[in-house]
Amino acid sequence: MRKIVDFLEQENRLASSVRVLVSIACVLVVWQLLSLVVTNRLLLVPPADVAAVLVKEVNNGAMWSNAVATVGAVVSSFIVSCVIGVAVGLALASSRLLSLTGGPVLSALNSVPIIALAPLFVAWLGLGFASKFVLVLLVAVFPVVVTTEAGLRAADKPLIEAARSFNATRWQIFTTVTFPYALPFIVSGVRVAWARALVGIVVAEFFGSFAGFGFAIMSASQTFDTARVLGYVFVLGAMGLIGSVLFASLERRLAPWRQE
Amino acid sequence: MTSTALLHVSGVSKTFARTGKPSVEALRDINIAINEGEFVSIVGASGSGKSTLLRIIDGLIAPNAGGVLVDGVNVTRPGPDRAMVFQQDSLLPWKTVLENVAYGLTLAKKPWPEAARVAGRFIAMTGLTGFESHYPHQLSGGMRQRVNVARALAVDPRILLLDEPFAALDAQTREIMQTELLSIWRESRKTILLITHQIDEAVFLSDRVIVFSARPGSVRQEVRIDLPRPRQLELKRTPEFSGLVDRIWKLIEEEVRSSLNESR
Repeated sequence: MRKIVDFLEQENRLASSVRVLVSIACVLVVWQLLSLVVTNRLLLVPPADVAAVLVKEVNNGAMWSNAVATVGAVVSSFIVSCVIGVAVGLALASSRLLSLTGGPVLSALNSVPIIALAPLFVAWLGLGFASKFVLVLLVAVFPVVVTTEAGLRAADKPLIEAARSFNATRWQIFTTVTFPYALPFIVSGVRVAWARALVGIVVAEFFGSFAGFGFAIMSASQTFDTARVLGYVFVLGAMGLIGSVLFASLERRLAPWRQE
Repeated sequence: MTSTALLHVSGVSKTFARTGKPSVEALRDINIAINEGEFVSIVGASGSGKSTLLRIIDGLIAPNAGGVLVDGVNVTRPGPDRAMVFQQDSLLPWKTVLENVAYGLTLAKKPWPEAARVAGRFIAMTGLTGFESHYPHQLSGGMRQRVNVARALAVDPRILLLDEPFAALDAQTREIMQTELLSIWRESRKTILLITHQIDEAVFLSDRVIVFSARPGSVRQEVRIDLPRPRQLELKRTPEFSGLVDRIWKLIEEEVRSSLNESR
Protein backbone atom coordinates (compact mmCIF):
# COMPACT_ATOMS: atom_id res chain seq x y z
CA MET A 1 0.00 0.00 0.00
CA ARG A 2 2.76 2.40 1.07
CA LYS A 3 4.64 1.60 -2.13
CA ILE A 4 1.60 2.38 -4.31
CA VAL A 5 1.10 5.74 -2.58
CA ASP A 6 4.80 6.58 -2.99
CA PHE A 7 4.60 5.74 -6.69
CA LEU A 8 1.47 7.83 -7.24
CA GLU A 9 3.01 10.86 -5.53
CA GLN A 10 5.93 10.96 -7.97
CA GLU A 11 6.33 13.87 -10.35
CA ASN A 12 6.72 11.98 -13.61
CA ARG A 13 4.66 11.37 -16.70
CA LEU A 14 3.82 7.73 -15.89
CA ALA A 15 2.65 8.48 -12.35
CA SER A 16 0.55 11.43 -13.48
CA SER A 17 -1.15 9.41 -16.25
CA VAL A 18 -1.89 6.65 -13.74
CA ARG A 19 -3.37 9.28 -11.40
CA VAL A 20 -5.65 10.55 -14.18
CA LEU A 21 -6.78 7.00 -15.01
CA VAL A 22 -7.48 6.27 -11.34
CA SER A 23 -9.62 9.40 -10.95
CA ILE A 24 -11.58 8.59 -14.13
CA ALA A 25 -12.14 5.06 -12.82
CA CYS A 26 -13.42 6.47 -9.51
CA VAL A 27 -15.92 8.69 -11.32
CA LEU A 28 -17.14 5.71 -13.39
CA VAL A 29 -17.55 3.54 -10.30
CA VAL A 30 -19.54 6.22 -8.44
CA TRP A 31 -21.66 6.80 -11.56
CA GLN A 32 -22.33 3.07 -11.88
CA LEU A 33 -23.30 2.78 -8.20
CA LEU A 34 -25.57 5.84 -8.47
CA SER A 35 -27.35 4.37 -11.47
CA LEU A 36 -28.06 1.24 -9.45
CA VAL A 37 -29.85 3.40 -6.87
CA VAL A 38 -31.54 5.80 -9.32
CA THR A 39 -33.40 3.39 -11.56
CA ASN A 40 -35.43 5.91 -13.54
CA ARG A 41 -33.58 5.85 -16.89
CA LEU A 42 -34.93 9.30 -17.79
CA LEU A 43 -32.89 10.78 -14.97
CA LEU A 44 -29.72 8.74 -15.11
CA VAL A 45 -28.26 6.00 -17.32
CA PRO A 46 -25.23 3.85 -16.43
CA PRO A 47 -21.85 4.53 -18.12
CA ALA A 48 -22.06 1.42 -20.30
CA ASP A 49 -25.27 2.69 -21.97
CA VAL A 50 -23.63 6.06 -22.68
CA ALA A 51 -20.64 4.30 -24.22
CA ALA A 52 -22.98 2.20 -26.37
CA VAL A 53 -24.78 5.31 -27.62
CA LEU A 54 -21.44 6.98 -28.45
CA VAL A 55 -20.39 3.94 -30.49
CA LYS A 56 -23.72 4.04 -32.31
CA GLU A 57 -23.39 7.75 -33.05
CA VAL A 58 -19.91 7.23 -34.46
CA ASN A 59 -21.07 4.32 -36.62
CA ASN A 60 -24.13 6.04 -38.09
CA GLY A 61 -22.11 9.17 -38.91
CA ALA A 62 -24.04 11.57 -36.67
CA MET A 63 -20.98 12.11 -34.49
CA TRP A 64 -18.91 13.28 -37.46
CA SER A 65 -21.44 15.67 -38.91
CA ASN A 66 -21.99 17.21 -35.46
CA ALA A 67 -18.24 17.35 -34.83
CA VAL A 68 -17.61 19.12 -38.14
CA ALA A 69 -20.19 21.77 -37.30
CA THR A 70 -19.11 22.33 -33.70
CA VAL A 71 -15.34 21.96 -33.97
CA GLY A 72 -15.20 24.00 -37.17
CA ALA A 73 -17.07 26.92 -35.61
CA VAL A 74 -15.46 26.82 -32.17
CA VAL A 75 -11.86 26.39 -33.35
CA SER A 76 -12.03 29.08 -36.04
CA SER A 77 -13.75 31.52 -33.70
CA PHE A 78 -11.36 30.67 -30.85
CA ILE A 79 -8.30 31.34 -33.01
CA VAL A 80 -9.73 34.64 -34.21
CA SER A 81 -10.58 35.67 -30.64
CA CYS A 82 -7.01 34.90 -29.50
CA VAL A 83 -5.58 37.04 -32.31
CA ILE A 84 -7.98 39.91 -31.67
CA GLY A 85 -7.54 39.56 -27.90
CA VAL A 86 -3.75 39.82 -28.11
CA ALA A 87 -4.00 42.76 -30.53
CA VAL A 88 -6.42 44.67 -28.29
CA GLY A 89 -4.33 43.84 -25.21
CA LEU A 90 -1.21 45.15 -26.97
CA ALA A 91 -3.01 48.37 -27.88
CA LEU A 92 -4.27 48.85 -24.34
CA ALA A 93 -0.85 48.18 -22.82
CA SER A 94 0.94 50.52 -25.18
CA SER A 95 -1.31 53.52 -24.60
CA ARG A 96 -2.21 54.78 -21.17
CA LEU A 97 -4.95 56.99 -22.58
CA LEU A 98 -6.52 54.12 -24.50
CA SER A 99 -6.38 51.92 -21.42
CA LEU A 100 -7.97 54.58 -19.21
CA THR A 101 -10.80 55.33 -21.65
CA GLY A 102 -11.36 51.86 -23.10
CA GLY A 103 -10.72 49.90 -19.91
CA PRO A 104 -14.01 50.67 -18.11
CA VAL A 105 -16.05 49.93 -21.27
CA LEU A 106 -14.27 46.62 -21.68
CA SER A 107 -14.74 45.57 -18.08
CA ALA A 108 -18.42 46.55 -18.27
CA LEU A 109 -18.82 44.42 -21.40
CA ASN A 110 -16.90 41.64 -19.71
CA SER A 111 -19.33 41.55 -16.79
CA VAL A 112 -22.42 41.42 -19.05
CA PRO A 113 -23.43 37.76 -19.45
CA ILE A 114 -23.03 37.79 -23.23
CA ILE A 115 -24.40 34.23 -23.35
CA ALA A 116 -27.79 35.76 -22.54
CA LEU A 117 -27.69 37.60 -25.87
CA ALA A 118 -27.57 34.33 -27.82
CA PRO A 119 -31.22 34.57 -29.02
CA LEU A 120 -30.52 38.09 -30.29
CA PHE A 121 -27.48 36.98 -32.27
CA VAL A 122 -29.54 34.24 -33.86
CA ALA A 123 -32.15 36.83 -34.83
CA TRP A 124 -29.48 39.09 -36.32
CA LEU A 125 -27.23 36.57 -38.02
CA GLY A 126 -29.53 33.63 -38.65
CA LEU A 127 -29.17 29.97 -37.83
CA GLY A 128 -25.78 28.43 -38.44
CA PHE A 129 -22.12 29.35 -38.56
CA ALA A 130 -22.26 33.16 -38.34
CA SER A 131 -24.20 33.44 -35.10
CA LYS A 132 -22.09 30.73 -33.42
CA PHE A 133 -18.87 32.37 -34.59
CA VAL A 134 -19.79 35.78 -33.21
CA LEU A 135 -21.11 34.52 -29.87
CA VAL A 136 -18.00 32.42 -29.23
CA LEU A 137 -15.80 35.33 -30.25
CA LEU A 138 -17.48 37.66 -27.80
CA VAL A 139 -17.24 35.31 -24.84
CA ALA A 140 -13.69 34.13 -25.56
CA VAL A 141 -11.97 37.40 -26.44
CA PHE A 142 -12.12 39.12 -23.03
CA PRO A 143 -9.88 36.82 -20.98
CA VAL A 144 -7.19 37.14 -23.67
CA VAL A 145 -7.47 40.95 -23.74
CA VAL A 146 -7.25 41.20 -19.95
CA THR A 147 -4.31 38.83 -19.48
CA THR A 148 -2.39 40.26 -22.43
CA GLU A 149 -2.61 43.77 -21.05
CA ALA A 150 -1.83 42.64 -17.51
CA GLY A 151 1.11 40.51 -18.67
CA LEU A 152 2.63 43.30 -20.72
CA ARG A 153 2.28 45.72 -17.83
CA ALA A 154 3.70 43.25 -15.32
CA ALA A 155 7.15 43.10 -16.95
CA ASP A 156 9.82 43.45 -14.32
CA LYS A 157 11.20 47.00 -13.99
CA PRO A 158 14.79 45.80 -13.29
CA LEU A 159 14.74 43.73 -16.51
CA ILE A 160 13.64 46.74 -18.54
CA GLU A 161 16.26 48.93 -16.86
CA ALA A 162 18.97 46.39 -17.67
CA ALA A 163 17.89 46.30 -21.31
CA ARG A 164 17.91 50.09 -21.45
CA SER A 165 21.35 50.15 -19.89
CA PHE A 166 22.56 48.02 -22.83
CA ASN A 167 21.16 50.70 -25.12
CA ALA A 168 18.19 48.60 -26.28
CA THR A 169 15.68 50.30 -28.56
CA ARG A 170 11.99 50.36 -27.59
CA TRP A 171 11.33 47.58 -30.10
CA GLN A 172 14.20 45.49 -28.66
CA ILE A 173 12.83 45.99 -25.13
CA PHE A 174 9.46 44.76 -26.37
CA THR A 175 10.80 41.68 -28.17
CA THR A 176 13.42 40.64 -25.61
CA VAL A 177 11.78 41.62 -22.31
CA THR A 178 8.15 42.72 -22.27
CA PHE A 179 6.65 40.21 -24.70
CA PRO A 180 8.47 37.06 -23.46
CA TYR A 181 7.52 38.10 -19.92
CA ALA A 182 3.85 38.45 -20.92
CA LEU A 183 3.68 35.21 -22.91
CA PRO A 184 2.81 32.83 -20.03
CA PHE A 185 0.14 35.33 -18.87
CA ILE A 186 -1.35 35.35 -22.36
CA VAL A 187 -1.42 31.57 -22.52
CA SER A 188 -3.29 31.41 -19.21
CA GLY A 189 -5.85 33.80 -20.71
CA VAL A 190 -6.07 31.57 -23.78
CA ARG A 191 -6.74 28.59 -21.52
CA VAL A 192 -9.69 30.38 -19.90
CA ALA A 193 -10.86 31.53 -23.35
CA TRP A 194 -11.00 27.92 -24.57
CA ALA A 195 -13.24 26.87 -21.67
CA ARG A 196 -15.49 29.85 -22.30
CA ALA A 197 -15.58 29.18 -26.04
CA LEU A 198 -16.95 25.69 -25.40
CA VAL A 199 -19.76 27.08 -23.24
CA GLY A 200 -20.43 29.69 -25.93
CA ILE A 201 -20.66 27.19 -28.77
CA VAL A 202 -23.07 24.90 -26.89
CA VAL A 203 -25.40 27.74 -25.98
CA ALA A 204 -25.25 29.12 -29.54
CA GLU A 205 -26.16 25.70 -30.87
CA PHE A 206 -29.02 25.32 -28.40
CA PHE A 207 -30.65 28.40 -29.84
CA GLY A 208 -29.80 28.47 -33.46
CA SER A 209 -28.49 25.58 -35.49
CA PHE A 210 -29.33 22.31 -37.17
CA ALA A 211 -26.03 20.58 -36.44
CA GLY A 212 -23.39 20.38 -33.74
CA PHE A 213 -22.99 18.92 -30.29
CA GLY A 214 -25.24 21.57 -28.71
CA PHE A 215 -27.98 20.86 -31.27
CA ALA A 216 -27.62 17.10 -30.66
CA ILE A 217 -27.90 17.57 -26.88
CA MET A 218 -30.99 19.78 -27.33
CA SER A 219 -32.76 17.37 -29.65
CA ALA A 220 -31.86 14.33 -27.53
CA SER A 221 -33.22 15.97 -24.40
CA GLN A 222 -36.45 16.81 -26.19
CA THR A 223 -36.92 13.10 -26.95
CA PHE A 224 -35.86 12.16 -23.37
CA ASP A 225 -32.82 10.31 -24.73
CA THR A 226 -30.69 10.81 -21.61
CA ALA A 227 -27.93 8.47 -22.78
CA ARG A 228 -27.38 10.56 -25.91
CA VAL A 229 -27.39 13.80 -23.87
CA LEU A 230 -24.72 12.45 -21.53
CA GLY A 231 -22.73 11.02 -24.43
CA TYR A 232 -22.34 14.40 -26.12
CA VAL A 233 -21.67 16.14 -22.79
CA PHE A 234 -18.88 13.60 -22.31
CA VAL A 235 -17.39 14.52 -25.72
CA LEU A 236 -17.52 18.23 -24.88
CA GLY A 237 -15.89 17.53 -21.52
CA ALA A 238 -13.08 15.69 -23.29
CA MET A 239 -12.53 18.67 -25.60
CA GLY A 240 -12.35 20.99 -22.61
CA LEU A 241 -9.94 18.74 -20.77
CA ILE A 242 -7.61 18.31 -23.74
CA GLY A 243 -7.44 22.08 -24.28
CA SER A 244 -6.84 22.77 -20.62
CA VAL A 245 -4.03 20.21 -20.33
CA LEU A 246 -2.43 21.43 -23.55
CA PHE A 247 -2.40 25.10 -22.58
CA ALA A 248 -1.32 24.37 -19.01
CA SER A 249 1.69 22.45 -20.26
CA LEU A 250 2.49 25.23 -22.74
CA GLU A 251 2.36 27.70 -19.86
CA ARG A 252 4.80 25.60 -17.84
CA ARG A 253 7.13 25.25 -20.81
CA LEU A 254 7.16 29.03 -21.39
CA ALA A 255 7.83 29.90 -17.76
CA PRO A 256 9.75 27.08 -16.08
CA TRP A 257 11.21 29.53 -13.54
CA ARG A 258 7.76 30.13 -12.02
CA GLN A 259 7.42 26.59 -10.71
CA GLU A 260 9.91 26.90 -7.88
CA MET B 1 40.66 67.40 -10.84
CA THR B 2 42.97 66.24 -13.60
CA SER B 3 42.07 66.70 -17.23
CA THR B 4 43.31 63.19 -18.03
CA ALA B 5 40.48 61.57 -16.06
CA LEU B 6 38.40 59.00 -17.98
CA LEU B 7 35.19 59.86 -16.14
CA HIS B 8 34.24 63.38 -15.15
CA VAL B 9 31.15 64.12 -13.10
CA SER B 10 30.85 67.89 -12.85
CA GLY B 11 28.23 69.86 -10.96
CA VAL B 12 25.59 67.13 -11.18
CA SER B 13 22.34 67.87 -9.33
CA LYS B 14 19.10 65.95 -9.45
CA THR B 15 15.70 66.69 -7.97
CA PHE B 16 12.79 64.31 -8.38
CA ALA B 17 9.39 65.94 -8.80
CA ARG B 18 6.57 63.92 -7.23
CA THR B 19 2.91 64.48 -7.96
CA GLY B 20 1.03 65.69 -4.89
CA LYS B 21 4.10 65.56 -2.67
CA PRO B 22 7.08 67.84 -2.13
CA SER B 23 9.91 67.17 -4.57
CA VAL B 24 13.02 65.35 -3.35
CA GLU B 25 16.49 66.71 -3.85
CA ALA B 26 18.53 63.55 -4.44
CA LEU B 27 21.91 64.99 -5.45
CA ARG B 28 23.51 68.40 -5.06
CA ASP B 29 26.55 69.59 -7.00
CA ILE B 30 28.46 66.32 -7.34
CA ASN B 31 32.03 66.58 -8.66
CA ILE B 32 34.02 63.39 -9.18
CA ALA B 33 36.91 62.47 -11.46
CA ILE B 34 38.04 58.89 -12.01
CA ASN B 35 41.18 57.91 -13.88
CA GLU B 36 41.53 55.06 -16.33
CA GLY B 37 42.05 51.75 -14.53
CA GLU B 38 41.05 53.09 -11.13
CA PHE B 39 38.78 51.27 -8.69
CA VAL B 40 36.60 53.80 -6.87
CA SER B 41 33.74 53.19 -4.46
CA ILE B 42 30.97 55.42 -3.22
CA VAL B 43 29.59 54.74 0.26
CA GLY B 44 26.86 56.57 2.11
CA ALA B 45 23.77 56.16 4.23
CA SER B 46 20.58 55.11 2.48
CA GLY B 47 18.97 58.08 0.82
CA SER B 48 22.29 59.60 -0.19
CA GLY B 49 21.38 59.31 -3.86
CA LYS B 50 24.35 57.12 -4.76
CA SER B 51 22.21 54.81 -6.89
CA THR B 52 20.75 57.82 -8.68
CA LEU B 53 24.24 59.08 -9.45
CA LEU B 54 25.20 55.71 -10.94
CA ARG B 55 22.12 55.82 -13.19
CA ILE B 56 22.99 59.34 -14.31
CA ILE B 57 26.51 58.21 -15.19
CA ASP B 58 25.08 55.23 -17.09
CA GLY B 59 22.73 57.58 -18.96
CA LEU B 60 19.50 56.03 -17.68
CA ILE B 61 18.48 59.26 -15.93
CA ALA B 62 19.22 62.83 -16.98
CA PRO B 63 20.54 65.27 -14.33
CA ASN B 64 18.84 68.62 -13.72
CA ALA B 65 22.17 70.41 -13.73
CA GLY B 66 25.75 69.57 -14.52
CA GLY B 67 26.97 66.77 -16.73
CA VAL B 68 28.98 63.59 -17.13
CA LEU B 69 31.95 63.28 -19.48
CA VAL B 70 33.41 59.95 -20.49
CA ASP B 71 36.73 60.44 -22.25
CA GLY B 72 35.67 64.01 -22.97
CA VAL B 73 32.32 63.06 -24.51
CA ASN B 74 29.09 64.21 -22.86
CA VAL B 75 26.81 61.38 -21.68
CA THR B 76 23.20 61.69 -22.85
CA ARG B 77 22.16 58.03 -22.96
CA PRO B 78 23.52 54.55 -22.22
CA GLY B 79 26.45 53.67 -24.42
CA PRO B 80 28.93 50.88 -25.12
CA ASP B 81 31.68 52.66 -23.13
CA ARG B 82 29.77 52.00 -19.87
CA ALA B 83 28.10 48.86 -18.52
CA MET B 84 26.10 48.39 -15.37
CA VAL B 85 25.96 45.45 -12.97
CA PHE B 86 22.65 45.52 -11.12
CA GLN B 87 21.84 44.33 -7.61
CA GLN B 88 20.05 41.14 -8.61
CA ASP B 89 17.32 39.57 -10.68
CA SER B 90 18.06 41.59 -13.76
CA LEU B 91 18.84 38.42 -15.72
CA LEU B 92 16.29 37.25 -18.27
CA PRO B 93 14.72 34.14 -16.67
CA TRP B 94 13.86 32.52 -20.04
CA LYS B 95 17.42 32.76 -21.35
CA THR B 96 20.33 30.47 -20.52
CA VAL B 97 23.53 31.69 -18.88
CA LEU B 98 25.23 31.86 -22.29
CA GLU B 99 22.34 33.83 -23.82
CA ASN B 100 22.20 36.16 -20.83
CA VAL B 101 25.93 36.90 -20.97
CA ALA B 102 25.63 37.51 -24.72
CA TYR B 103 22.53 39.72 -24.25
CA GLY B 104 24.27 43.08 -24.62
CA LEU B 105 26.08 41.82 -27.71
CA THR B 106 22.91 40.57 -29.39
CA LEU B 107 21.22 43.90 -28.66
CA ALA B 108 24.16 45.54 -30.43
CA LYS B 109 23.34 43.21 -33.38
CA LYS B 110 26.54 41.14 -33.19
CA PRO B 111 26.10 37.90 -35.13
CA TRP B 112 25.37 34.98 -32.81
CA PRO B 113 28.55 32.91 -33.35
CA GLU B 114 30.71 35.91 -32.46
CA ALA B 115 28.49 36.91 -29.53
CA ALA B 116 28.59 33.35 -28.18
CA ARG B 117 32.38 33.20 -28.54
CA VAL B 118 32.88 36.48 -26.67
CA ALA B 119 30.34 35.46 -24.02
CA GLY B 120 32.16 32.16 -23.60
CA ARG B 121 35.39 34.01 -22.79
CA PHE B 122 33.73 35.97 -19.96
CA ILE B 123 31.88 32.90 -18.72
CA ALA B 124 35.31 31.34 -18.25
CA MET B 125 36.70 34.48 -16.59
CA THR B 126 33.87 34.56 -14.04
CA GLY B 127 34.10 30.86 -13.24
CA LEU B 128 30.83 29.86 -14.88
CA THR B 129 32.25 27.23 -17.23
CA GLY B 130 29.95 24.21 -17.31
CA PHE B 131 26.85 26.26 -16.54
CA GLU B 132 26.37 27.76 -20.03
CA SER B 133 23.02 26.09 -20.64
CA HIS B 134 21.62 26.54 -17.13
CA TYR B 135 18.79 28.96 -16.51
CA PRO B 136 19.10 31.69 -13.83
CA HIS B 137 16.55 30.01 -11.53
CA GLN B 138 18.80 26.95 -11.43
CA LEU B 139 21.73 28.99 -10.03
CA SER B 140 22.61 30.26 -6.56
CA GLY B 141 22.58 33.99 -5.81
CA GLY B 142 26.36 34.20 -6.10
CA MET B 143 26.38 32.43 -9.46
CA ARG B 144 23.67 34.75 -10.76
CA GLN B 145 25.79 37.75 -9.83
CA ARG B 146 28.73 36.24 -11.73
CA VAL B 147 26.47 36.06 -14.79
CA ASN B 148 25.53 39.68 -14.19
CA VAL B 149 29.21 40.71 -14.07
CA ALA B 150 30.06 38.60 -17.12
CA ARG B 151 27.18 40.17 -19.08
CA ALA B 152 28.49 43.66 -18.33
CA LEU B 153 32.10 42.73 -19.20
CA ALA B 154 31.07 41.06 -22.47
CA VAL B 155 30.18 44.36 -24.16
CA ASP B 156 33.79 45.48 -23.46
CA PRO B 157 32.99 48.74 -21.68
CA ARG B 158 35.69 51.13 -20.50
CA ILE B 159 33.87 51.75 -17.25
CA LEU B 160 32.08 49.15 -15.17
CA LEU B 161 29.34 50.55 -12.92
CA LEU B 162 28.33 48.27 -10.03
CA ASP B 163 25.17 49.00 -8.06
CA GLU B 164 25.50 47.18 -4.71
CA PRO B 165 26.22 43.99 -6.63
CA PHE B 166 26.72 41.77 -3.59
CA ALA B 167 24.10 43.25 -1.26
CA ALA B 168 21.72 40.31 -1.61
CA LEU B 169 24.38 37.65 -0.98
CA ASP B 170 25.24 36.00 2.32
CA ALA B 171 28.39 37.18 4.11
CA GLN B 172 30.66 34.29 3.08
CA THR B 173 29.65 34.37 -0.58
CA ARG B 174 30.08 38.13 -0.58
CA GLU B 175 33.70 37.87 0.63
CA ILE B 176 34.53 35.35 -2.08
CA MET B 177 32.86 37.47 -4.73
CA GLN B 178 34.92 40.47 -3.57
CA THR B 179 38.21 38.68 -4.16
CA GLU B 180 36.91 37.40 -7.49
CA LEU B 181 35.98 40.93 -8.50
CA LEU B 182 39.51 42.06 -7.69
CA SER B 183 41.04 39.39 -9.91
CA ILE B 184 38.59 40.19 -12.72
CA TRP B 185 39.55 43.85 -12.38
CA ARG B 186 43.27 42.97 -12.56
CA GLU B 187 42.72 40.72 -15.56
CA SER B 188 40.39 42.99 -17.54
CA ARG B 189 42.03 46.32 -16.63
CA LYS B 190 38.64 48.05 -16.47
CA THR B 191 37.83 51.24 -14.64
CA ILE B 192 35.35 50.41 -11.89
CA LEU B 193 32.90 52.57 -9.98
CA LEU B 194 31.18 50.64 -7.18
CA ILE B 195 28.22 51.71 -5.08
CA THR B 196 27.95 49.95 -1.74
CA HIS B 197 26.71 50.43 1.78
CA GLN B 198 29.36 48.04 3.12
CA ILE B 199 32.28 50.15 4.24
CA ASP B 200 34.64 47.18 4.57
CA GLU B 201 33.78 46.12 1.02
CA ALA B 202 34.62 49.60 -0.28
CA VAL B 203 37.93 49.76 1.63
CA PHE B 204 38.96 46.24 0.64
CA LEU B 205 38.36 46.78 -3.09
CA SER B 206 39.11 50.42 -3.82
CA ASP B 207 41.91 52.83 -4.58
CA ARG B 208 39.67 55.62 -3.32
CA VAL B 209 36.45 55.71 -1.33
CA ILE B 210 34.11 58.64 -1.84
CA VAL B 211 31.92 59.21 1.21
CA PHE B 212 28.49 60.64 0.50
CA SER B 213 26.34 62.57 2.92
CA ALA B 214 22.58 62.22 2.68
CA ARG B 215 19.59 64.41 1.85
CA PRO B 216 20.59 65.79 -0.52
CA GLY B 217 23.43 63.48 -1.53
CA SER B 218 26.73 65.28 -1.82
CA VAL B 219 30.41 64.40 -1.63
CA ARG B 220 31.45 64.60 1.98
CA GLN B 221 35.00 63.41 1.78
CA GLU B 222 37.35 61.37 -0.33
CA VAL B 223 39.49 58.76 1.41
CA ARG B 224 42.54 57.37 -0.37
CA ILE B 225 43.10 53.67 0.34
CA ASP B 226 46.85 53.08 0.20
CA LEU B 227 46.74 49.43 1.16
CA PRO B 228 49.12 47.23 -0.84
CA ARG B 229 47.88 45.15 -3.78
CA PRO B 230 47.19 42.37 -4.62
CA ARG B 231 44.88 42.17 -1.62
CA GLN B 232 43.80 38.98 0.10
CA LEU B 233 41.01 38.45 2.62
CA GLU B 234 43.59 38.46 5.49
CA LEU B 235 43.99 42.17 4.84
CA LYS B 236 40.63 42.69 6.53
CA ARG B 237 42.14 41.62 9.87
CA THR B 238 44.98 44.18 9.86
CA PRO B 239 44.85 47.31 12.05
CA GLU B 240 45.44 49.54 8.98
CA PHE B 241 42.28 48.16 7.41
CA SER B 242 40.17 48.56 10.56
CA GLY B 243 41.51 52.09 10.97
CA LEU B 244 40.25 53.08 7.53
CA VAL B 245 36.86 51.42 8.07
CA ASP B 246 36.47 53.24 11.41
CA ARG B 247 37.41 56.56 9.89
CA ILE B 248 34.78 56.23 7.15
CA TRP B 249 32.18 54.88 9.57
CA LYS B 250 32.59 57.99 11.76
CA LEU B 251 31.90 60.15 8.71
CA ILE B 252 28.49 58.63 8.07
CA GLU B 253 27.52 57.26 11.50
CA GLU B 254 25.40 60.24 12.46
CA GLU B 255 23.41 60.11 9.22
CA VAL B 256 22.86 56.36 9.45
CA ARG B 257 21.58 56.84 13.00
CA SER B 258 19.24 59.64 12.05
CA SER B 259 17.88 57.70 9.08
CA LEU B 260 17.06 54.85 11.49
CA ASN B 261 14.62 57.06 13.37
CA GLU B 262 12.88 58.25 10.28
CA SER B 263 9.79 56.98 8.60
CA ARG B 264 10.15 56.42 4.89
